[in-house]
Amino acid sequence: MSQAIFMLQPSLTTTDLTIRFGGHVAVNKVSCNFHPGETTVIVGPNGAGKTTYFNLISGQLAASAGSIHKGDLDLTRMSPSTRAKNGIGRAFQLTNLFPQLTVLENIRLAVQARSGAGWGLFRPVDSLTALKTGAQKYLEAAQLTDKGSMTAAALPHGDQRKLEVALLMAMEPDIYMFDEPTAGMSLDQAPAVLELIAQIKSDPTKTVLLVEHKMDVVRALADRIIVLHNGELLADGAPDEVMSSQIVRDVYLGAATEETA
Amino acid sequence: MKQTFGTIAVKTTMLIIAALLLFAPFLFQDIRALEVAARICIFIVLVASYDLLIGYTGIVSFAHTMFFGFGAYGAAIALKQMGPGWDALALGTVAGVLVSLVVAAAIGLISLRVKAIFFAMITLATASVALVLASQLSQLTGGEDGITYRTPDIFKTATKLMVDDDGKVVRWFGVKLNGKLAAYYFVFATSLTLFLVLLRITVSPLGTVLKAIRENEMRAEAMGYRVVAYRTFVFCLAAVVASLAGSVYAVWLKYTGPDTALSFNIMIDILLMVVIGGMGTMWGAVVGAVLMVMAQYYLRDLMGAASEALHGIPLLPELLAPDRWLFWLGIIFILLVYFFPKGIVGTLMLKGART
Repeated sequence: MSQAIFMLQPSLTTTDLTIRFGGHVAVNKVSCNFHPGETTVIVGPNGAGKTTYFNLISGQLAASAGSIHKGDLDLTRMSPSTRAKNGIGRAFQLTNLFPQLTVLENIRLAVQARSGAGWGLFRPVDSLTALKTGAQKYLEAAQLTDKGSMTAAALPHGDQRKLEVALLMAMEPDIYMFDEPTAGMSLDQAPAVLELIAQIKSDPTKTVLLVEHKMDVVRALADRIIVLHNGELLADGAPDEVMSSQIVRDVYLGAATEETA
Repeated sequence: MKQTFGTIAVKTTMLIIAALLLFAPFLFQDIRALEVAARICIFIVLVASYDLLIGYTGIVSFAHTMFFGFGAYGAAIALKQMGPGWDALALGTVAGVLVSLVVAAAIGLISLRVKAIFFAMITLATASVALVLASQLSQLTGGEDGITYRTPDIFKTATKLMVDDDGKVVRWFGVKLNGKLAAYYFVFATSLTLFLVLLRITVSPLGTVLKAIRENEMRAEAMGYRVVAYRTFVFCLAAVVASLAGSVYAVWLKYTGPDTALSFNIMIDILLMVVIGGMGTMWGAVVGAVLMVMAQYYLRDLMGAASEALHGIPLLPELLAPDRWLFWLGIIFILLVYFFPKGIVGTLMLKGART
């Protein structure tokens, strides 16, 4: 399996990616390739730089050094919106929705961003059937059909997490980035979100990056694991290989058992 | 949206206000009432365009009167210099719009990237500069005295739109069909058109993007929307609408000066109207403008009457003396904000709707 994957062109590459906050190096020369059809889970103790690494890739933070490429396209200096238009889709750790808009409006915004209809000025948005059916599709995918007219703020937490994933799916990116998609969800809610991710994962053209703490989630989804520690890439490989290596056990698993408890 | 008690109440109120404004010259046959009606029309547009900024997009600007002023002064200066023709009016209006557009784009591109508070300060500074310029460039603007000018002939009070066999102006329901009537309907029609355009924009895909930016700027950007571009665009759009409203008001008043078109008092009025009516609703602009303009014109009279009626009773007539109208307006405002925290329309719309 992994042999076949590495034959492919990487869809996303970070080269010596670095960011410094004053004297603190949060991400330090991280070079990594990600491939279509592959789900990479990024693990590491708190403060290891996982979310920062994500912010560098999706553009919320600007790199101090190094570069990010999607295929041949250099993303390093692009704004988050330009990166999104070029297929980088990012979901957030803390639920990050448009709280006073309805669930349907939230999803429709993502569909609309892709279609470029955002500058449409005079046609009422309700009359644009392409947007409506597009949004409806993802509303159904996320099993939120009966909650379409509720405001996002009024949804229970579990549904907000589902909506977060639905927003990402509706953007139809090439690169999906999930930051702890099941954070704060109860055990019976989490499978719905994981199912959505599994659905994305089944498409061989999509690249999935996932930051996750929960070991059962990591095991269920990972094709490959990379370990960040103090902003540096510590290990990279097949799940079993990485999880069993001594160095990873030392820095990570000790911390992880506390967190998953 | 489901039909709740609140939305029905709002819709009914809108229809009543629209009908009253449409038939205002026939229903209220005195000059002052027509003055109030025209001012309401103009301020509905002005406040609605400001609502697009503050209520829909979450941009706080203190320069909205400046754009209103650009439009008013554009029309006023052109009418003064070129004489009372439609060409002068058109040229002045276009010039006002262009100046507004350029200034808004410049402010937007330079400073909509920075934090909201800095942006607000920059608009405040720019508006102050415009106010100073208007009083300094007195050869062009008439300085503090402003400019008086004539408007196209059809708007002259002496103009007879229809004459009977004796050459006298025709009356409908006792109202003379003269230029004043034409001027009112010019104001009414342009205001209605501009308001409907704004209303249409709020339900367009763009309108949803604006709300998304207000709700969560970072997520909107991550979704692929260029927030700065959208913000700058809507700032320019609101500026152009304000400018057009200014030109129309200049035609109605036949006078333009700092007090009618540029002063910060107008900016405060706009802010109060949008807060009283309810931000981010558009209909709030209508309610806010109607209440505020009515209060400005009639609260004094009402208090005068009340003061008279209570003559002889200690303290009360003093308290209700017409000169204290601003004090009472303040109290009314505080009560409104207390009982309608989301503005009258905003709070009504939520009545009966699920949270």
